[in-house]
Amino acid sequence: MKLPKIVIPYNKTLLRSMSGQIVAVRVKSIPQAAEAAAHVRDSGNALFCVIVEANSPLAELALHDGIKDIPLAIMAPAMGKFRRVTAILPVLRGGNIRIYLPCDRPDNITSLRLLSSLGIHCCALFAPGETNWEELADLMTYAVLERAPHAPIEPFEFIASSYEPSSYLDWGRIFFDDPRHFLHLDARGRVALSRREASMGDFIAAGIAEIAAADEFPAISERINSWRYRLAENHPCAFCAGWKICLGRFAPEAGEDGGCAGFFQEMLDVARQRGAQRAGGEELRVWQP
Amino acid sequence: MANILLTTRCNRSCPYCFAEREMAGSDVDSLMSWENLIYIADFLLMSGQRRVSLLGGEPTIHPECVDYILYLLERGFDVTVFTNGMLGKSRREEFRRHLTGISRERLTFVCNLNDPLQTPAPHTERERIEEFLSLMGPWVSPGFNIYRPDFTLDFLFDAINRFGLKRHLRLGITHPIPGKGNGFIRPAEMRQVVERLYSYREIFEATRVSPGLDCGFPMCKFTDEELGWLNRFRGSPHFRCGAAVDITPDMSVYHCFPLSDYQRRSLFEFDSLLEIEEHFRQLRQQIRVEIAGIFEECDGCRQREDDVCSGGGVCQLLNRFVDEAPVRIPEIEHEIAKNRHPL
Repeated sequence: MKLPKIVIPYNKTLLRSMSGQIVAVRVKSIPQAAEAAAHVRDSGNALFCVIVEANSPLAELALHDGIKDIPLAIMAPAMGKFRRVTAILPVLRGGNIRIYLPCDRPDNITSLRLLSSLGIHCCALFAPGETNWEELADLMTYAVLERAPHAPIEPFEFIASSYEPSSYLDWGRIFFDDPRHFLHLDARGRVALSRREASMGDFIAAGIAEIAAADEFPAISERINSWRYRLAENHPCAFCAGWKICLGRFAPEAGEDGGCAGFFQEMLDVARQRGAQRAGGEELRVWQP
Repeated sequence: MANILLTTRCNRSCPYCFAEREMAGSDVDSLMSWENLIYIADFLLMSGQRRVSLLGGEPTIHPECVDYILYLLERGFDVTVFTNGMLGKSRREEFRRHLTGISRERLTFVCNLNDPLQTPAPHTERERIEEFLSLMGPWVSPGFNIYRPDFTLDFLFDAINRFGLKRHLRLGITHPIPGKGNGFIRPAEMRQVVERLYSYREIFEATRVSPGLDCGFPMCKFTDEELGWLNRFRGSPHFRCGAAVDITPDMSVYHCFPLSDYQRRSLFEFDSLLEIEEHFRQLRQQIRVEIAGIFEECDGCRQREDDVCSGGGVCQLLNRFVDEAPVRIPEIEHEIAKNRHPL
């Protein structure tokens, strides 16, 4: 396995200390995004994308034509007033942009549908413990099965298009949360398995140079295979019909109200339908010959 | 074209209102939601529609009216908003900031204006409407509902010139709500209405305003000369009754306001606008089995048989049933019975 992409905070010193890496840079604002992208390219690293962790709604962000060529993952707390979004729609449509909104608020679920209907690639950020699974299921069905033209909504599109009946599917990479694909560094270059762990100071190495091959590094391979422990523990998730595409991601919630189980079972069904559509016909149902 | 009702509330009380039953019977707080609007937009696009109308109540009352208009425009629809023009200051300011940059080809307001003498309104109402027309004039087509045969149109030509409105006047005859007893134009008054309209011919010509007839006018009440005059304008008149297809905030769908009680369904029961139109075509057909048109002469009329003229609106036919003989179709009879006046 080659070395995963590196997610780092925007820090010129840190960038200069690396070379030949594929880098995603975290910034706080759009003006910083263009600057960070230029610095990554000048540093001898390749730019994967700029992650904008904005504190203000999407509508308030100063998006402009100058960022059109930068791959952007914009994480905003909300969409904001639609009338203000219309001013930045041409950039959102014309750029290489994916909008992430947390789906712990019903209005964000609606906003994701709205943005998608306008051709803007977006993504639902799951909020553990706060997710309204029924509303999310509606959004997922819209994302995958709606026939009216619309942009993909992740992670549903990724799951539906990547699902293979004979294998498990981990879709954490959509959120930069999968050590097979992304490792997170702090400003001092210390390595963590996820953004959350980096911010909590939970590191697996003092520098990226310590990790020669990701699949041979114990902490990474342990995390990649951690879902297997659910099987060994007889965890309720391991008996859930949605297990193959969830892999216990919401294990702390599972068993409380069963919301995630229902959602992922429905997601599986929708993914099968999509697969059948791709194969050129409708899915054969049990009552069909 | 489908009509989306953004709200069932209205801030005006017109004597001829044929939406009154629908407004009275619905939840006053009922507002079209974003989820439903997106669903409707998808539904219409997949049905091949590229034009949509926004209605109410008064659609500009909806708190997100401006956002909804902008959204539908972004989805590629040409949008027509039917309004009474009574907008408050802050809403007018929203319109100025966000809508005055939109092409007049893509956004139209049909502003229903009442004759200030025959239907007097408080000063504040008139003031608000004038301020709206001053702001949005180039986007506005005036509309007028004829509810008495002695109507006048002079004030409309005056408004077109004063506020630079679009030079197209949308004329509707007010319809009965079956069994409601609201003010409307009776069949016997139709010829008088047409004569009155034709008496304005020279002013239409001089001001270069084109008349547009809404549904319900029977063709036979126009002379050949009058029809010839109407045909000289773009979009020659039609005399057929068809489904307006009104979609309410709770996703009910019905034929038109006067028939809002008849064979009302949920939008979710249909896969396309074509299916909805077929559903309501059958409704009209069932009623027309009973009666050809609003006049005795409609029975056997060639234009009626060729479907050039519908012999008046279906709502006018149903209104006769309410007070006359029961019909044979049980479902419609059941709905009519609810509207029949108690003895």
